[in-house]
Amino acid sequence: MGTLPQLIEEDITLLDGALRELLVKSEASTALIADKGGFLITSKGNDQDFDLTSIAALASGAFMASQVIASLAQETGFNSTYQQGENFNIYIQCVDENCLLLVLFPATVGVGAVKYFAGTTCQKIAAQMLAAEQRDPSSMGLDLSVLNVADASGFFKKRD
Amino acid sequence: MAIINQATRELQVKIVYYGPAMGGKTTNLVQVHDHVQTGQGNKGKLVSLATSSDRTLFFDFLPIEAMSIKGFKTKFQLYTVPGQVIYNTTRQLVLRGVDGIVFVADSQYEKMAENVESFQNLQDNLKSLKLDIDDIPYVLQYNKRDLPNVAPVEYMDFLLNNRDIQVPSFTGCANKCEGVFETLNMITRMLLHKFVNQSQPQYA
Repeated sequence: MGTLPQLIEEDITLLDGALRELLVKSEASTALIADKGGFLITSKGNDQDFDLTSIAALASGAFMASQVIASLAQETGFNSTYQQGENFNIYIQCVDENCLLLVLFPATVGVGAVKYFAGTTCQKIAAQMLAAEQRDPSSMGLDLSVLNVADASGFFKKRD
Repeated sequence: MAIINQATRELQVKIVYYGPAMGGKTTNLVQVHDHVQTGQGNKGKLVSLATSSDRTLFFDFLPIEAMSIKGFKTKFQLYTVPGQVIYNTTRQLVLRGVDGIVFVADSQYEKMAENVESFQNLQDNLKSLKLDIDDIPYVLQYNKRDLPNVAPVEYMDFLLNNRDIQVPSFTGCANKCEGVFETLNMITRMLLHKFVNQSQPQYA
C-alpha cells in the first residue's frame, strides 16, 4: 500500500486550480480530493453547507467497500461510483493508488458533464501527486521537531 | 499514513480503535466526543454506521482538531472497527492508512479468548496491508474494570502484551470515562514522537 507524499504550497495551489476549473466547467457545487484512508486533502466550492471532513471519510470508506464488491463480482475494480439523490448527487472517481476525487453537484446538473470534466481533472491531480512523490524530501521545509511532544499528556483534556 | 500538508501547516493522523466485539471501542469514542475540551468548531460530529441494535456495522468516526502548537494544526481522525468476527473485510478497509492503534480489550475472564483472537486478527489484517504491528504505535486498554469477574492486569499483560517490546497499557471503565483520555493522550504522544523522529533526519 502506497502512502501519500508530503504536499507543499505549490501542490495545493495546483490541485485547487484543477478543482476550481472543474467546478466552473461542470457547474458542480463542490469538489474535493480525499485520501483513500479517509483524509480530506483539499476542497473547493461550497464548504458551508457540507461537513466535508466527514464526507471525505465516509465516501472513501464507501468507495473502498465498492472495490471489495467488485472483486467479489469477478471485476478488477470500479473506477468510479455515482450516487443519485433528489437534490444532490455525488460522483467519486479514483485518481491513483492513494486518492479520490469527489464531486457534489445539484440534481439539475447532468452527470455526463461532471464525468467528462472529472476525467481531465483526475489526470491533473495524478500528475501533481506524482510530482510531489518524486520531489526530494530533503528539499522540504517542515520541521516537526518544533512540536513539543513531551507535553502531550495533556494533549486532549477532559472537560469537568 | 498521516498526511503532512505544508501549505496549510496541517498534520492529519488516523487512529483506529480495535478489539473484540462489545469491548467498548464505540464507548471510548462517545466519551471523547462528549467530554473533550476543544475550541469552538474543532470537534466534528461523531458519525456511527451502526445496526438497529447499535452494533457497529462499518465504523464510527470522530474528527477532532487538537490545539495548534507553534502554528501546526494537528487533526486527529478517530475510527472504530466492527468487532464482530464476520466483519473482517470491513476491519481491513478501516485499517487502511492507519497511524496508531488503541486495542480495547474486555477484562472479563470469559472474554480472554476473544481478546487474543482479535489481537491476532489485528496482526493478520495489518500484514494483509503490508504493515507490521511492530512498526505502528499502539497502546492497550483493559476495559470494563468495574465488572466483578475481571482478570488481573498481569494476566492480561501476559496474554496481550508479551512481545519483545512492551507497550503502554491502561485500565479503564469507558462507560464512566475512566482511562479514556489517558489512553488517547498516550497514543497521541507516541505518534507525535514517531513523526518528530521521522522528520528530523531530513534537516540534519
